[in-house]
Amino acid sequence: MPPHQKHSLPKAFWIAGLAVVFLLLYAPIVSAVLFSFSADRFPSLEISGFSTQWYAQVLTDRAILEALWNSLTVAGLTALIASALGFAAAYADYRFRFFGQKAVLALALLPPTVPLVILGLAMLAFFSRIGIAGTLMAVVAAHVVIAAPFAMAVCRLRLAQLDTELEIAAQNLGAEPHSALIRIVLPHTLPAILAAVLITFAVSFDEYVIAWFTGGLNQTIPVAVLTTLQGQVDPTIHVIGTLSFSMTLTLVLIALAVVLNQSGGRMSKEET
Amino acid sequence: MTSPALPARAPARRFQNLYLRTWQALWVLPLPAWLLFFFAVPLGLLVAISFWSVVNYRLTPDATLSAWRYVLGLDFLWASFWRSYGLSLASAVAISLLAFPASYAMAFVAAPRQRLVLLGLAIAPFFTSYLVRIYSWQVFLAEGGVISSIIQAFGGKGESLLNTYFALFLGHATLALPVVLILQTIALANVDRTGISAAANLGARPGAILFRVILPAARPGLALGLLFAFLLSYAEFVSAAYLGGGAFQTLPILVTDLVRAGQQWPRAAVVSLLMIASLLATALATVLWAYREKG
Amino acid sequence: MMTNPHLKMQGLAKSYGTFVAVEDFSLDIAEGEFIAIMGPSGCGKTTTLRMLAGLETANRGEITLAGTRIDQLPVWERKTPLVWQSLALFPFMTVRENVEFGLKMHGVSRAERRRRADDWLERLGISDYADRNVARLSGGQRQRVALARSLVLEPKVLLLDEPLSALDAHMAIKMQGELKKLQRELGITFVYVTHSHSEAFSLADRVVIMNAGRVEQIGSPQDIFLRPRSKFVAQFVGGISLLEGKISGKKDDEWFLETRDGKVRLGHGCGLAEGETADLAEGETADLAVRADRISVTVGSGWGENEIACTLVSEEFAGAVVNLHLETASGRSLVAQLQQRDLEQLDASIGARVYASWHPDDGFLLESARTSGSEPRERAA
Repeated sequence: MPPHQKHSLPKAFWIAGLAVVFLLLYAPIVSAVLFSFSADRFPSLEISGFSTQWYAQVLTDRAILEALWNSLTVAGLTALIASALGFAAAYADYRFRFFGQKAVLALALLPPTVPLVILGLAMLAFFSRIGIAGTLMAVVAAHVVIAAPFAMAVCRLRLAQLDTELEIAAQNLGAEPHSALIRIVLPHTLPAILAAVLITFAVSFDEYVIAWFTGGLNQTIPVAVLTTLQGQVDPTIHVIGTLSFSMTLTLVLIALAVVLNQSGGRMSKEET
Repeated sequence: MTSPALPARAPARRFQNLYLRTWQALWVLPLPAWLLFFFAVPLGLLVAISFWSVVNYRLTPDATLSAWRYVLGLDFLWASFWRSYGLSLASAVAISLLAFPASYAMAFVAAPRQRLVLLGLAIAPFFTSYLVRIYSWQVFLAEGGVISSIIQAFGGKGESLLNTYFALFLGHATLALPVVLILQTIALANVDRTGISAAANLGARPGAILFRVILPAARPGLALGLLFAFLLSYAEFVSAAYLGGGAFQTLPILVTDLVRAGQQWPRAAVVSLLMIASLLATALATVLWAYREKG
Repeated sequence: MMTNPHLKMQGLAKSYGTFVAVEDFSLDIAEGEFIAIMGPSGCGKTTTLRMLAGLETANRGEITLAGTRIDQLPVWERKTPLVWQSLALFPFMTVRENVEFGLKMHGVSRAERRRRADDWLERLGISDYADRNVARLSGGQRQRVALARSLVLEPKVLLLDEPLSALDAHMAIKMQGELKKLQRELGITFVYVTHSHSEAFSLADRVVIMNAGRVEQIGSPQDIFLRPRSKFVAQFVGGISLLEGKISGKKDDEWFLETRDGKVRLGHGCGLAEGETADLAEGETADLAVRADRISVTVGSGWGENEIACTLVSEEFAGAVVNLHLETASGRSLVAQLQQRDLEQLDASIGARVYASWHPDDGFLLESARTSGSEPRERAA
């Protein structure tokens, strides 16, 4: 047995540690799904029966459906813009040497480290001054800021596996820069771009702080949940939770499968 | 065969340079431009606002230090600051310790293929509805909730666990665990296996290998995990509000209250800038420590 | 001087900041000529090739190909395909798609593309792999794809950047032969960058030796091998002993060189081209070069005309011949190459005193003794 597989504590200890962590991660998700089908208004261990009444209630609630539409619009636009910007920045960093390259990279990786409350505050102040506060476009503009770094990271990691000479070799064979990009770089990066779209969609779909600050009366789904949370127990949150879990988990798992498969099982990725 | 006279080439080369520069700018500029406009400018505005004043409930451009003087003189601000900082630091340490065995299991016990699947499952919750997961914890922790029912079944009192530090910690862990797991696992999995073999070959026991070879080699990644757990916990306000109840007045809650309840923009800006400053200082210290050269 | 060169490079220069990669490179190449550019790494040979292909923009200078100025054209309009050191095959394409790529970029119709690509696949013996992904080929097969991909464009010049360095030694020698044959058949101009002596000398019609961004010598392989112009080339090519000294006294039309290890006689014409001896001046410093295979080694003195006492430092077996490394009294190193059986007759062990001698006509003065002082930075294998 190789030395790194000889452990200072029994294997069971480490596996138990893994189990605890996964329990913490997935217990709230599983519980939300279970209670969403409970007949009771108050969630407790004594579940009296199975019911889909809360689903019926959510799916006929105009406010929630409107919030859902808002969320889909914002997340969809954010995903497209953030992925495009993220790919452009990743490609620029991969392909060119330019003045201020490190500064641009640092700027691009900064947003995820600034607390969302502060970003929300700053953006609300800014958007009020330029007169777009309270619109969905304001939310999109802000979400692109926090989502684009993820898109850039995913695309950059994929590009790192493409020999820079290939694109130049294509130009050497007569391809103009745009054809070389379309025929050599894009086919290689496509899975990462797809993953970026899914991940940025998920990031935007679940973001509530900035959406709450800048969205005004245009509530998105998580903002609606936040407002409900401030009230009392409401089983519809479990339904909304179950629906958004199924959606974002699916998106993210597909994205991860894509990213992990293409990286050939190498441990070079850092998602956050 | 003669080549064109010299002056003819200059415009051609200039045109070619222009073309290449435009093409390059097309890729280089969009993201920085977007970030400058929608990220740097708003943050700059926040700095400016900290010097503005509020006249008749209206935010008015000004150049006064009154918000700074007011906020820095508040005892409860400093209490809130140290509470926030201390709680987040405690959470960050606890989350890192909690995550370590799991990361170790993924890095050293699991086969490479299993590791990828586990990592995928670990990071996925990071992108899914955080609010609903906090609500779920509320259900778990409340009086008559899942945990108290279990405790009661075993003859305990089964009081509500809400409004305790444990509840707040669960909230922080829910947010930060995926990120910490990823960073730790990558750090551990990248530890050079031949170094471990060499240590074993020189007679190091598994315990010594863990503390003298694996941990020092993985230090940057582990420190980064700690830092991210801190950043996320520090900025978080939903679990402080809904799991910790009123018990934990943290800085983000203070910021929201100042704006939502009193239009005190300059003061909120000052608190925000304090948060950013303390955050950057912590991040810098951690990074310097993580990448410190030995000796 | 070529009256009508096919590829003409005039005064090319390239620097990065303060680092001068290439300084004033000029070369006229005839159609169908095989040129090898050789030198240690960092000498500017690859930069020169990249300027030809347009991958680097020259700071100064002109490039003319078949009568057309190309140095101001962007990469994609130059039609100077390059065979990359890394091959740079497109990994997600089949062999045929790789070969068709350039034709597609030049707007050749699908049927024509296919016909021409298949033609080249056939010619290079890789038709069987046409639909295979390039990742699933052997080194030699990948090499052929890289060649086919460039040659299918029917270029006026083919650029090759250390194309054989990725192959194992056996395969590299095999490909070397094929390359030479191909080039002869096609009559296309090849510009071939390498750090390998054997590749450059066995393939090229003319070899360009570069050092620290400058051209040291241009000439046929024989020229360079037998008559290195500078100290650098002599040392880079190897197998040459150098003696430094001062020119002295013309006596009965004889010239001598005063070295620290004694006075040696220079041959008629000093090995320089006729007429150049006139430039020699009394008291001038000069470098005398003698090829290793022209130096005799004896135990006793008095066997040759120019004779220097040495210590035998080491013996190095190289197949049928043996290189003897000697050191003169002043500490200068000499190399003598002996046949195996001559060595058997030489009764000397390491550390023994021996005499190195050569015929005056076998020594020649380096032309650029005064300008060239730099040592080769890296001796390639």
